[in-house]
Amino acid sequence: MDTIITVKNLKKSFKDTEVFKDFSIDFLRGKITAIFGPNGSGKSTLLDILAGIVPKDGGEFEIKDFDSFTFSYIFQNYRDSLLPWRNNFKNVALPLQIQKKSNEEIEKKVTELQALFEFQFDWRRYPYELSGGQQQILAFMRALVTNPKVLFIDEPFSALDYENNLRLRKYLQKYFLKYKPTVLLVTHNIEEAVHLADKIIVFSQKPTKVVQIIENSLPCPRTLDSLKTEHFKLIKDSVLCAFQKSISI
Amino acid sequence: MKKYAIIGPFILIIVWAVISRCQLVDAFFLPGPITTISKLLELIKSGVIIDDLVSTLGRVGLSFVIALIIGLPLGLILGMSEKIYRSVEFIIDFFRSTPATALFPLFLLIFGVTDKSKIAVAAFASTIIIIFNTAYGVMHAKKSRILAAKIMGANRAQIFYWILFWESLPQTFIGLRSAISLSLVIVIVTEMFIGTPFGLGKMINDSQIIYEISTMYAIILLVGAIGYLLNLLLILIEGKTIHWRGR
Repeated sequence: MDTIITVKNLKKSFKDTEVFKDFSIDFLRGKITAIFGPNGSGKSTLLDILAGIVPKDGGEFEIKDFDSFTFSYIFQNYRDSLLPWRNNFKNVALPLQIQKKSNEEIEKKVTELQALFEFQFDWRRYPYELSGGQQQILAFMRALVTNPKVLFIDEPFSALDYENNLRLRKYLQKYFLKYKPTVLLVTHNIEEAVHLADKIIVFSQKPTKVVQIIENSLPCPRTLDSLKTEHFKLIKDSVLCAFQKSISI
Repeated sequence: MKKYAIIGPFILIIVWAVISRCQLVDAFFLPGPITTISKLLELIKSGVIIDDLVSTLGRVGLSFVIALIIGLPLGLILGMSEKIYRSVEFIIDFFRSTPATALFPLFLLIFGVTDKSKIAVAAFASTIIIIFNTAYGVMHAKKSRILAAKIMGANRAQIFYWILFWESLPQTFIGLRSAISLSLVIVIVTEMFIGTPFGLGKMINDSQIIYEISTMYAIILLVGAIGYLLNLLLILIEGKTIHWRGR
């Protein structure tokens, strides 16, 4: 299998708290990996270190052929990262503008993505006129408009109601199946993890260790009906067991 | 909200009328609002204050524009780097706390006893206010937005004109409003004490000397109204520009 992200003997502490101590892990190209674990288990910290936002204390990591133009990161506080002075269209267009793409190309990309998301935005309106769920979809469209090869998502659905949550998962799955990016998805929700991911990695409490790696063989695309199957429940249960271990360590 | 704006002037005039009606202050030294307002209307109708009004507005406008042209880019640049701002913070805070009019002799030395020195001193004080507010606006930009742009691969220039500039606007407008009021105050004060052929400040001073007290208050009233209207104009521009305020 083709590894795209490698982490070797990573070290990281905040003041007196050791988050990572000789932590190693690999992520496969074109796969969706969910990272699941107790609060404060260094899930977000790992993404931040890999994205270059937070410096490591030691060890090594590599994202093969890393290029910030083909990398996207959707933060937990997505609402704060949308720009209220730009209308909805210009918010989605921003990453392409940064890449100095032509207006026609931007138009084409956004239309393409909009078709996939089945979502009709009034492009001339502003993000603050949208509901929380719509803002979240806008933030996702902004992150996906560049067709990133590597995508980090931190707690994407935590602020959404269940209906919007399911809707967004459906769009994402469609997008993932079409474009096959490498995705690292940090989540607090087992159902989300099992619904979307090819592989679920369960983290322990600090200092972080990998408690278990669970392969998710549930066939794609996964619909609402897949959530009701025995197979789904089985995988969900094994994640839960691993989680149980992680909080009793 | 707009209808509440009328309450302020109303309170002012009532208090003023009560003080003058109860003769808490000698009527000679504080004429009532009706006397003063009719005096003002008379001055406007007769046209004797038009030249003074135009001169004062011209000075205020010019000093404000100069302050804007110098202060806005400087504020943006200083705000970009906290290190640079901290290194000149003393100078900004020093002059922000010094009465600019006290420095007038220095400006007279440089610009001579001309209009230039009046405009320069008002522009100087306003520039400091604009720099201070704009730089703060930039420095207090939301980190999450800057970070998001950085992750997208934006360079410094792109972050500046797509994020920081817009982030600073609400604070910049606070600076502009303070600056235009300050310009007005300084222009009036310099007109009063340095002298000029035309100017509302000169008229205030002249009427004071010849005990034309109702004219004096009429002009003071006019100056206050001008200050209010200038602020209102900036609020209107701000409302159009910063449609996202508070959202």
